[in-house]
Amino acid sequence: MFGTVLVKELRAVLLSPKFPATFAVCSLLIVLSVFIGIREFRGAAARYAEGLELAAQTLRTQSTWMNLSTTAYRKPDPMQVFVPGVDGDVGRLSPITGTEDVKLTNSRYADDPLFALFRSIDCAFVVQVVLSLFAILFTYNAVNGERESGTLQLTFAGAVPRTTYILAKIAGAWIALAIPLIVPVLLGILLVVVYGVPLGAGGWARCGLFMLASLFYFTFFVALGVLISALTRRPAMSFLAALAAWVVLVLIVPRIAVMAAGTLRPVPSVAETEGWIDAFAKDRMDEQMKALGARWQERQAPMQGMSPEARQAYQQSKQQEWANEDDAARQEVQKEIDAYRVRVNEEQGNRVADQERLAFALARFSPASAYQIAAMTLAGTGVSLKATNEAAMREYRRAFTQYAAGKQKESGTQAGFRITVDSQTGFHFSAPRERGTLDVSGVPAFAPPGVKLSEVVSSALIDTGLIAVLALLACAAALAAFLRYDVR
Amino acid sequence: MLKLVIQKELRDILTSTKFIVSFVSCALLILLAFAMGAAGYRADVARVEAARRENLKQMEGLTDWMMVRNNRIFLTPQPLASLVAGVSDDIGRTMEVRGRGEMPQEDTRYGEEPVFAMFRFLDLEFIFQTVLSLFAIVFAFDAVSGEKERGTLRLSFANPLPRATFMAGKLAGSFLALAVPLLVPILIGCAVFTLMGVPLTTDEWMRLALIIGSGLLYFGAFLALGIAVSAMTRSSSTSFLALLVIWIFAVLIIPRSAILIAGRAVDVPSLDDINAKKFRYAEQLFAEDRAAMNAFSPADRSDPRKMIEEFQKFMGNINDARQKKMDEFSSRLNEERANAQGVQSSVALGIARISPATCFTLAASALAGTSLALQDRYIAQARAYQVSFAKFILGKTGINPGGGMVFRMRIGDGEQEKPIDTHELPAFEYRRPVLADVLPAALPDAGVLAACVFLFFAVAHVAFRRYDLR
Repeated sequence: MFGTVLVKELRAVLLSPKFPATFAVCSLLIVLSVFIGIREFRGAAARYAEGLELAAQTLRTQSTWMNLSTTAYRKPDPMQVFVPGVDGDVGRLSPITGTEDVKLTNSRYADDPLFALFRSIDCAFVVQVVLSLFAILFTYNAVNGERESGTLQLTFAGAVPRTTYILAKIAGAWIALAIPLIVPVLLGILLVVVYGVPLGAGGWARCGLFMLASLFYFTFFVALGVLISALTRRPAMSFLAALAAWVVLVLIVPRIAVMAAGTLRPVPSVAETEGWIDAFAKDRMDEQMKALGARWQERQAPMQGMSPEARQAYQQSKQQEWANEDDAARQEVQKEIDAYRVRVNEEQGNRVADQERLAFALARFSPASAYQIAAMTLAGTGVSLKATNEAAMREYRRAFTQYAAGKQKESGTQAGFRITVDSQTGFHFSAPRERGTLDVSGVPAFAPPGVKLSEVVSSALIDTGLIAVLALLACAAALAAFLRYDVR
Repeated sequence: MLKLVIQKELRDILTSTKFIVSFVSCALLILLAFAMGAAGYRADVARVEAARRENLKQMEGLTDWMMVRNNRIFLTPQPLASLVAGVSDDIGRTMEVRGRGEMPQEDTRYGEEPVFAMFRFLDLEFIFQTVLSLFAIVFAFDAVSGEKERGTLRLSFANPLPRATFMAGKLAGSFLALAVPLLVPILIGCAVFTLMGVPLTTDEWMRLALIIGSGLLYFGAFLALGIAVSAMTRSSSTSFLALLVIWIFAVLIIPRSAILIAGRAVDVPSLDDINAKKFRYAEQLFAEDRAAMNAFSPADRSDPRKMIEEFQKFMGNINDARQKKMDEFSSRLNEERANAQGVQSSVALGIARISPATCFTLAASALAGTSLALQDRYIAQARAYQVSFAKFILGKTGINPGGGMVFRMRIGDGEQEKPIDTHELPAFEYRRPVLADVLPAALPDAGVLAACVFLFFAVAHVAFRRYDLR
């Protein structure tokens, strides 16, 4: 019985104009989005390679170990072909210097705001918005359309169990929608292979999970359409209701959720936190300056009443010791400032994570946001992109500055310029002398944090599971609604 | 006759359940957009105020204007930007100002808080562009084909009703029935905006009115398109399918793909490359200066204070000279890039303007002051501020705070120096554009929208002439 109803369903859908329209549109869009995704990814990979080359060149042309600086770049992930996520919004690079903190800057959209106007079209977007809309289109008159045309009561003149009927309806619509999704995705995968995008085994696994999430996602909308159809008598009504439900779930809920989270858990801006750090640093530097002045007064004391030659000799002998003392004091202050900065960044990170958790919790009421979260988590282009990369870059900065400091000690150049003004001997200025270009072969390189498959899959499973549960609930609700439906 | 048709249309639409449901949902969304926009604006203003306070606080207690570092300026939030976000969340809002040299923009809204980039904002422009156009299609798809199916079309034409009048009446009637009621939540939204404490100048009210006007034009274009497609098909389900496909392409696909494809076709020098070139040139200049510093010997060796002053003047001079060379080099590179970007955006946006959705977004964001021009305006005003800041510091200390090393030596003769008054520092306030500034940019796009309305109406007219009414 199930088979018969299913075949009847399939025949009805596949022969209506809806199916070729959906197939054509979805194929075009998915193939287009994968094509654009591949081009964008190759552009990003080329920019990444160029960036690494530039950083290496710039490193080679620096002349002293003091204030050695470089740039760390964020590596693009091949899954961006399908789900670019927030990759265009998060900075691509960060300066690595001894004095400044790590901060990701120069995001793609900040460098070229033209592309920020309309952003990108990607596979996840096509599934999330277009496919779900077609799912509604297929099923909004599943039940009440048949009732209106009179075929529903004819069907139930036979011995058709209601459960079988509704499940076959859902299955029929599902198959009719799965084809326009799976065929273009296979074409897309062909494109990916042909263009040589380096997905790797982990990448393919994530791809597979992404497809699974997509299938659950449109199942929800198929079931939702049938549910609404089984709750109303006229297709015109169910159409409106289904469309309204689509607008609310796909377009409205995600945005409102994030705006509400922004209002309920506000986070101080980076400009403000940088202001706190600058104020703290200024205070400490002030104190250090005062202490330095006091120290120099002390050092002058034993030289009172010495002859010019004796004073010169005394200064020569004490020079190294004084320089070391000053250096140590400066480093102590720098350590304090760094510790404060770490604390402020940690607190800020916690606040941001709090806000994100609330935003996700509110947004997860809609399967569209759950799907988006799952897709972005799998591609590694979700909200953790910024935090993970900045943390890795901070680690790198520690290693880098340690290495540079070590090399500087080895080569013996003193940090800073030295200016001496003496009423007897006059004015002296010395800058660190270059020893020619540096041998930068030993400088540690930045290892971009890859996407750990186990972590990513486990967190994406939560959202995928949520969508699956919602789809199941929708199917159950459709069944329940149809059981009480008046088929005449 | 025309009036009768319009009245019939009005009555038909306004009493249907479809209208009540759609209107209530749209009204709620519009009010929500205004309310959240106002809340967002107040929060943004508070954040910028806090950032400004911190910026001044870290200067307090300094005794010398030369020691002022990290003077930061912030892009003040604009009220209209909370209704039409445009690119305001994608451009860097903070700039560090020194007396000369480059001021890289930092801290984009989406870069700082990627969770907003994931889901974006619900602003008025989004509601007009996506929801209202869908709304227009839902009402227009069965304008003609639905009447044919219900049998009322042939009843209408049993009377001596000219086809042109019928079409005109349909269009005018639908527009009046749908657009005019929308003005109610819009006006309430404006009141909410003011009540929530968002101050709009008269000029901004006018710009908001024009934004809403272009939104209604856009809505009218989709209505006319819906009626046109409806007059080309027999069954309303076919016309809805066709319209849905057209909507998907016009609103969701064409703007994005056109910009991505056409944009990448134009070559723009990469920012990374330019920054690397600047860095290397700066290193080179600095190496030259270091040699000069090593060779310095003061003329008058009698007074240490005089020696220090002479050294400071020497440093100031070489800083100035070096900055000038650096500025010339940088501005040349920057100009090249800006020109290439200009060509790129004309090509990409030109192609994307096939879709009325692009035209509407461009017109609305131009009027709100959040189009691509926002970046140019901000940079230009920041440069002007930089000049006045440099003049201020020059006045206070006699030295131009160039981007290089500054030596300030304090001689410990025990005199107590007075801390600077941070309130003397000139403040940066982003001057919002006025109607005269933005109208030339917005008018062509609004014109295209109006042309769309006429074009689609003409198509509807022509299609309907050959329509089988039975």
